[in-house]
Amino acid sequence: MIKKAITFAAFASVSLAGCSAAPSVVENSITAAESATEQPIAEKTSITVYSGRKESLVQAVIDQFTTDTGITVEVRYGKSAEMAAQLLEEGDNSPADVFFSQDAGALGAVGKAGMFIEMPSEILGLVPSEYSAADGKWVGVSGRARVIVYDPDKVSEVPASVFDLARPEWQGRIGIAPTNASFQAFVTAMRILHGENKTLEWLKAMKANAVMYPKNSAILQAVEDKDIDAGLINHYYWFAKGKDIGVENMTSKLGQFQSKDVGNLINSAGVGIISDSSAAKSFVEYLLSKTGQQYFVGETSEYPLIPGVVAGVELTPMDQIPAPEIDLSDLDSLEETLDMIRESGLI
Amino acid sequence: MRKPPKVILVIALTATLLAVLPIAYLGLRLFEGFDRALAELLRFRTLELLGNTGLLVLAVSASALLVGFSQAWLTTRSTVKFASFFAVLAALPLAIPSYVMALGYMSLFPGFSGFFASWLVLTLATSPYVFLGVTAALVRIDTATDEVARTLGLGRFQVLTRVTFPQVRPAATASVLLVALYVLSEFGAIALLRFDTFTRAIYNAYQGSFDRTSAAALALVLLLMTLLIIWFERRYRGLYTASPKALGKRLRVDLGSWSWAAMAALALVSVFSVGIPMASLLAWSIQGSASLDLPMLLDALWGSVRLASLSGIIISVFATAIALWAVRYRTRLGAWIETLSWATHALPAVVVGLALVFFGANITPWIYQTTWMLVIAYLILFLPNALAAISTPIAQAPKDLEDVSQSLGVPANRTLFKVVLPIAFPGILAGAGLVALTVLKELPATLLLRPTETNTLATRLWDATEDLAYSQAAPFALLLVIVAGLPALVLNAQARKALSEVRG
Repeated sequence: MIKKAITFAAFASVSLAGCSAAPSVVENSITAAESATEQPIAEKTSITVYSGRKESLVQAVIDQFTTDTGITVEVRYGKSAEMAAQLLEEGDNSPADVFFSQDAGALGAVGKAGMFIEMPSEILGLVPSEYSAADGKWVGVSGRARVIVYDPDKVSEVPASVFDLARPEWQGRIGIAPTNASFQAFVTAMRILHGENKTLEWLKAMKANAVMYPKNSAILQAVEDKDIDAGLINHYYWFAKGKDIGVENMTSKLGQFQSKDVGNLINSAGVGIISDSSAAKSFVEYLLSKTGQQYFVGETSEYPLIPGVVAGVELTPMDQIPAPEIDLSDLDSLEETLDMIRESGLI
Repeated sequence: MRKPPKVILVIALTATLLAVLPIAYLGLRLFEGFDRALAELLRFRTLELLGNTGLLVLAVSASALLVGFSQAWLTTRSTVKFASFFAVLAALPLAIPSYVMALGYMSLFPGFSGFFASWLVLTLATSPYVFLGVTAALVRIDTATDEVARTLGLGRFQVLTRVTFPQVRPAATASVLLVALYVLSEFGAIALLRFDTFTRAIYNAYQGSFDRTSAAALALVLLLMTLLIIWFERRYRGLYTASPKALGKRLRVDLGSWSWAAMAALALVSVFSVGIPMASLLAWSIQGSASLDLPMLLDALWGSVRLASLSGIIISVFATAIALWAVRYRTRLGAWIETLSWATHALPAVVVGLALVFFGANITPWIYQTTWMLVIAYLILFLPNALAAISTPIAQAPKDLEDVSQSLGVPANRTLFKVVLPIAFPGILAGAGLVALTVLKELPATLLLRPTETNTLATRLWDATEDLAYSQAAPFALLLVIVAGLPALVLNAQARKALSEVRG
């Protein structure tokens, strides 16, 4: 009980510290947490990671980890949801030590099945609490924000809410990608925050208003080409294209809805530890180290989640994004979302 | 009653036990969550899936019959020019896995998805089965009946519908049922083209809601649908008796001025089934060649070839044992085992994959995520294909030679290895090759069960389609057609025979 209380206190202070970035407090609380939860752990020189993130995206940082630590990593790549499903089927006998997922929903599903060990609080403490599981089962590694990309010639003012896009004046002007996992995670958030009826109504309105694209980058291209006036995408697509053709050559702009609007959802890619070992923990720590975080910033234009790592491109600082409040683990009810998207006729 | 050698008994019984695993898995999941499963089945969505799946099966069967029958009739029974060239073209789509064909189309036409897209791709991919089946039957029926019908005053079209078609109907029915089975269990193309049928819904339930009970409930419905079709197939297969008539000179219907129209139609079908998808893959491959990761391509090729050859050998050993038992020692158990291995053919690869993930991780962790686990999955999935290819050469090995061998004092089991197997060996080898090539194209079970860090052409292709990265996917797709598809077409005895007989 006392142990729990100490851990909680440490956790709380770390979360606060994470926001205000006061290093001395962080260090103190980590020591407290360590002494409270110290336990013997198995030594391993090799771990197996199930990765829902793409090989082309993360293999380089994993190789770097092996070079730096001498721990070899076997990686099984797949889509995040597929990997989560496989983990659930394998249960306690899973060969995986770590699950590295592209989105929070898949982590939530595995965490709720009780397959993750409690994430050590010194690791959880590295990241602001809203980007990790509320129950501390997994920790966020990088952040991606939902944004509205728009053509400033056609859209003078970003609508106040994503719900405003349901109005008739948006007919034929807004692009969405209903089969895309990030769009679906956003719809799940809408269901959780605003209920089934309001969400279904919005989806049906989008069926009338929106132009459908197979993926985010196609929406961005359509806005750039002036085929449509605006679109709902993840922020990093814009920066990836900016890198490609030069930010100064981009005709579109990124915008945000008003404070706490679900259209500003920040989802995180994250990791959970399945089999307790110092090697698995080192891996997670490495992803949350300056080297690891800098890699994601440089490679994917995602948001770093630890203080002191600067985003390379001109990103709106994440704490200035008026994101909605939600436990990202709850984004695991994908099937209900898919049913609803189908019912609305979008797919 | 002669007893089969112990080794044959052991092998055959092992295969049977393995084949039962997926069914046991379904039973376990349903038993565990009976109420949930029932609730899933009673949802409106299940009815919708039933409707979608049924509609697609019927539509594809009908159009594949029309296309395949027309191709067969035009190339064997009409005076259309370049008949044998068109016959080869008609069989060629067999070399293209349906998900590769789907990829070819969707990379060319953004937004190519849904019912129409699935129908088109699957029709093009399956009509060769009807073409081959009907061609084989058409070249065997006597054209004299046609002439009689003509002299009795029937028009050409009436002859076609009232005389010719009824004669090849058993063959056509058998082929169409094959097409229906194909559509029911199809996963890759339908998942890419996003049309909700049972296979896709099973996969989505599993990976979307992480809900294994619903997935199992849906799989059960799919299993029942498939068994129904197999039952039909068995019933109608009995009617299909190839007439033993020698292939005489066939009278061909003079198309006259219609000949050009017929050629145009044949060419058009091939443009759609081979031309467009291959051109699209080629164009994307060229575009992607600059950024092509050659080591990755070679690694995937090696992964594919290694898995396929190992599985081909092992599966054909199993198939040979079962075929020997069923053919040479007609015991009831042997026949029963053969039937059972056919029944598991009804299971979609997704279900087999899931079942083996469960059993592998929880019961036999020492082989889980090793090559052997994958070989077991392929064994369950493709044993029927191997049996079909290998039973014939074994049955055809002359019984007299065996009798001679035994009369000379060689024990029965030794005769088996010294006489029967050497005679049947070329046929067995061809069967092994055919299975290996089928393994190369397999997707869902490979995705679930492959050893970590093993990649194949099919899995790499699938990974690349996730981001619709066509220029990355295309080289893998193209290589798959060259390595797996074309040799399969050459090895396919039915195709070879049909194509050679078209000239007759």
